[in-house]
Amino acid sequence: MFHWLEKNPFFFAVAVFVVIAFAGLVEILPNFAQASRPILGAKPYSTLELTGRLVYIKNNCNGCHSQLIRPFKSETDRYGHYSMSGEYAYDRPFLWGSKRTGPDLMRVGNYRTTDWHETHMKDPVAVVPGSIMPAYTWLFKNIADVDTAYAEQLTVQKFFAVPYNTELPMADGSKVTVALADTLEGARASALEEAKVVAADMKDQAVKDAVAAGQVPEIVALIAYLNRLK
Amino acid sequence: MNKTVLAAIIVTIAMLGFTYAAVEMAGGLDKLIKDGDWVNMLAILGAVILVIATTFVVTKYVRQMQNDTASGKLAEETWDGIGEYKNEPPFGWFVLYLIMIIWAIWYFLAGYPVNSYSQIGEYNQKVAEHDVKFNEQYKDMDDETLKEMGGSIFIVQCAPCHGLQADGINGQAADLTARISEKSVKYVVLNGSNSNLMGTSMPMPDRNGLLNSNTSALITDAEIDAVSKYVAGGLTGTEGADVFAGTCAACHGADGKGMEMVAPNIAQMSPEMVGMVLNHGKKGAIGAMPAFTNLTEVQHKAINAYVASLSQK
Repeated sequence: MFHWLEKNPFFFAVAVFVVIAFAGLVEILPNFAQASRPILGAKPYSTLELTGRLVYIKNNCNGCHSQLIRPFKSETDRYGHYSMSGEYAYDRPFLWGSKRTGPDLMRVGNYRTTDWHETHMKDPVAVVPGSIMPAYTWLFKNIADVDTAYAEQLTVQKFFAVPYNTELPMADGSKVTVALADTLEGARASALEEAKVVAADMKDQAVKDAVAAGQVPEIVALIAYLNRLK
Repeated sequence: MNKTVLAAIIVTIAMLGFTYAAVEMAGGLDKLIKDGDWVNMLAILGAVILVIATTFVVTKYVRQMQNDTASGKLAEETWDGIGEYKNEPPFGWFVLYLIMIIWAIWYFLAGYPVNSYSQIGEYNQKVAEHDVKFNEQYKDMDDETLKEMGGSIFIVQCAPCHGLQADGINGQAADLTARISEKSVKYVVLNGSNSNLMGTSMPMPDRNGLLNSNTSALITDAEIDAVSKYVAGGLTGTEGADVFAGTCAACHGADGKGMEMVAPNIAQMSPEMVGMVLNHGKKGAIGAMPAFTNLTEVQHKAINAYVASLSQK
């Protein structure tokens, strides 16, 4: 058989394809499983949350923090319910991370507050003695890129049919609609509305002033994103 | 004698020599036998066997490379004059290979992961086993153990905000070494409260609903200042005591220890109250605290007892 294949390059190529395609199949097929569909309660990111997600990626938070709780008792005790495939349905790309230098952040919104994040980003050691995380003071000065986040929202809505402006059922029986603005101006305005809610719980006067003046500092977007991780 | 064999013998003798030297440096074989140190004797035996086996195998294959000629049936096709043998695989290998294929098919279809194993299943089983053991072991804890357990949960779950000393890290969170701060009393009097501290939503009115029965008028700014200091100070002193008696005592009791289903204890932190905060979260003078519902019943009991004990020294 093998000698015959060696003498027939076309069929040899077909055989090579079949062998390699098997590996692809193993990777691709599970993504069509029911478990990979958005689970009940999964919802797309709002404009400000997605802006914060971009800040998260830009500062490479995923280099030290994972977003994947493994089904081990020690992890679920500390971080909450183990992660499920369908929870990442709207993550593009997913931010599982590969190494935990810092703690997992998959459900950090459940047990940390806006106020805590603010103090922590300014001076991590103030709230976590012995922490090796550096201070991220520039987040308080830099203005976040809401426009790119909006572009990303439009893209995923168009190409992946991410359900914006659609009623989504939540686990507790309620319905949630994540709004997506029609225009860039609308998106900026809605991000600012979200930012005002976050800034109201913050202490930094410069950040509050910036939000009042219609700007969204990166820290506000990042905290909106972190609070959303549940 | 063949050069290769000669080299092998020399290498073997040299290596065994090194081994001997190493054993001598460690005190000699006699000492090992006297100490009954069989682990190290096994190691020496292993070293000797390894030296001999390695030189034997290497010699065999070096000689084979020198002397052996290829044999077997050539395939018809050649590539630029380079031919290929059509030898059958060795029988033993062939059988092993066949068994592996059959096993792999069984493994994919009937064994892991399709039927017999689930990671989540294992997790659930492990957690259930652990819970049974845990609940059994800590069924009747004395106060000491309860607080110890609470203390270690506190470090993981509470310390990031309340601090390792439970002092609230410069106002970041509530200072748990005292029942209530002056700032919080003032906030509650000014804004009213509905913190689920009674387990039900039992709203306390804001300052426009708080009558001082001593003066028969609404509570004034000066009175608020005085009573805040008084309550934060643990209901001691004289200043503010009359305001407390006239305004707060009606619901919170003359001793500040609260009334069931009416008002919480503001003199002391009780385990029940800590539990209410953990279950419902809280929003007050300092900011919002999320609810912590990820703890087991026993852990809840422990953390409640621990936190309550912090302010009762």
